[in-house]
Amino acid sequence: MKLEMRQKLAREPFADKIRKVGQLIRLAKTFPRRPAKPQVIAK
Amino acid sequence: MAKNPASDNLPLADVLRAANELVAEKLMQDWALGGALAAIYYVEPFMTYGADIFFIPADKGFTAGIPAIYAYLQARGWQAEGEHLLIGGFPVQFLAAHGLTEEAVREAERIDYEGVPAKIFPAEYIVAIAASVGRAKDKARIEQLLQQADLDKTKLENILQRHKLKLPVL
Repeated sequence: MKLEMRQKLAREPFADKIRKVGQLIRLAKTFPRRPAKPQVIAK
Repeated sequence: MAKNPASDNLPLADVLRAANELVAEKLMQDWALGGALAAIYYVEPFMTYGADIFFIPADKGFTAGIPAIYAYLQARGWQAEGEHLLIGGFPVQFLAAHGLTEEAVREAERIDYEGVPAKIFPAEYIVAIAASVGRAKDKARIEQLLQQADLDKTKLENILQRHKLKLPVL
């Protein structure tokens, strides 16, 4: 994301930003990261 | 546009209200929101799993009064899970402040969050604390704050000098 966009997000009201954190948490719980596959060591 | 579902709302106002109650009950002297949620006050929102409340203990003993704080909140429906207390499934950590973090509590900025008076670490102290911890995520936090927060550079330099800290190479 461009720096100007990130700075714009930073200037949003705190309550709005906390709501977005809540959305991020919900997404992370809905789509948890899959554990990384074990690396195949090349012989 | 559809409104956010209620499940998206973090119970932050409840956390801040409870911290104020703990002061009123003389279970702590003072407190401020620190950690990732405090950083989010100054920068773009990012993923974090809990709230960190730094407090100046009323009980100067070894436990800093943490058992009494846990007992008080558990009696009000909070659940203990390891070093966290959960409110509505949201983890909150109560951390006794000392040194740099105690100074950050004393210098904290007063805010109003959804009608609840609260205190939050100043951005310069979040940078200094991150510099003192030095993990990869702390470096990322410093970079974010330097780019996005309106930092008082003189104040930051003063804090770093007094606590013999240096900003990491980013």
